Amino acid sequence: MSVPESPEESLQRVWSTVAAALDDGFGGTDVLALVGEVSTRLLPVDGVSVSLVGGARTRETLYASDGVSDRIQRLQCSLGEGPSFEAYEARRPVLVSDLAADRGSRWPVFASEIGTYPVGAVFAFPLQRGAIGIGGLDLYRSEPGWLSAEEVTTALRIVDIATLALLALRVDSLNGEWVVSLPRERAQVHQATGMLISGLGVPAEQALAKLRAHAFAVGRMVDEIADDLVSGRLVPADIEL
Amino acid sequence: MNDSLPSGTRRESDLVGAFVQLADTLVDDYDVPEVLHQLAAHCVDLLNVSAAGLMLSDQRGSLQLVASSNERTRVLELFQIQTDEGPCVDSFQTGVVVVVADLSVATERWPVFTPQALEQGFSAVHAVPLRLRGEVIGSLNLFNQRPGGLSAEDAKVARALADIATIGILQERTIRHGEVLTEQLQGALNSRITIEQAKGLLAQAGGLDMEQAFQALRRYARSRHARMSETAHALASGQLRPDAVLEQGHADAM
Repeated sequence: MSVPESPEESLQRVWSTVAAALDDGFGGTDVLALVGEVSTRLLPVDGVSVSLVGGARTRETLYASDGVSDRIQRLQCSLGEGPSFEAYEARRPVLVSDLAADRGSRWPVFASEIGTYPVGAVFAFPLQRGAIGIGGLDLYRSEPGWLSAEEVTTALRIVDIATLALLALRVDSLNGEWVVSLPRERAQVHQATGMLISGLGVPAEQALAKLRAHAFAVGRMVDEIADDLVSGRLVPADIEL
Repeated sequence: MNDSLPSGTRRESDLVGAFVQLADTLVDDYDVPEVLHQLAAHCVDLLNVSAAGLMLSDQRGSLQLVASSNERTRVLELFQIQTDEGPCVDSFQTGVVVVVADLSVATERWPVFTPQALEQGFSAVHAVPLRLRGEVIGSLNLFNQRPGGLSAEDAKVARALADIATIGILQERTIRHGEVLTEQLQGALNSRITIEQAKGLLAQAGGLDMEQAFQALRRYARSRHARMSETAHALASGQLRPDAVLEQGHADAM
């Protein structure tokens, strides 16, 4: 390898690899390991984990790059508190660049227990789409410190990939097609998701999955199907396969 | 409401009213999408423009709409186009105000945005960057059906409203480097997605268009002193029945 890969190229490659892996029916851990690998390579972090959140605060770690990442998750699960829980509930990232300075304020027990591990900073990102809360991506650094603007962008793009991977892994008969072809989601996609929640009486996550599956089945873009729903050219019953 | 006053005095009184209301909101526990919606509505009244919208950086290189004075699908499209090109993107990238007094000569500058804006009857468009210290975190977009620039006085008011939006996004939370900014921006962007989901849900359940659905959502949240984004989340996650929100709308209409 003569020319090192740029961050942009790395992200693109992981994006396509994740999509292809999903297409080939690889298990979730293989796909998430790719996400984990790119996180620790492109960001100044020492570990990463990806968790799936079910109802009633059940959190399952699907991937952890190292023992400390795993410990951060286990500790929160046993205590029922910590940055990852807060990020999921507040539906926004919880970014603590100096855990020692933050100690005791928001999650006193977690902060005190994690003090015995080499964790200087924790960045907890929720994996979500509006009201669809699906899991979390958690990064840690052994030393305190925040990310540069470029690194924030990279982290958020990794979060996007992880969100899609988890959404895809939760849907049967996955197809890489809709992962790869995902453009920036337009408002109509979210509105159409809402219409299906009401029209088909399904939870938000299933509504989005049905919208995507339908688009794939009829060979059209998710955006176009969403437009048709919003403008009344399609009704929710048409989406039910 | 102050019809008996001379126009200069009336305008001053409207300005004071708007800034007092925004300041009152910001010292309380408030909802970012709600404050930004109020702010967009104030822009329309105070600056005498036809529509106003606030777009925030998604920190991935694009802008996303978080609040608009008008929730009609066609108008939202005009903001959506600007994830790629348009006055908002230009003001976001350069950090300066973009004033286009006559949109009909701007087709070359924004080949996708301009024809759509003209087709919707807009003749002038302005964009004011949302600035935070050395950084630009978004843009306030003003559309007008009449051609013409912003007067020096209006430009100052627009600048002040953009500053209030920045303060509103950062909430009361102190700025520890960039972390809070990322937390707030990403939180606000996700709230907007939730609001879109709730709009779709209400539109379907109540046979409403997206503007009416937004108004029903907002009215219900306000009547209960609830955050609009929390109400949207409760709806989209199945914890609140759409009937409850729609019935409130009927009650208000009587």
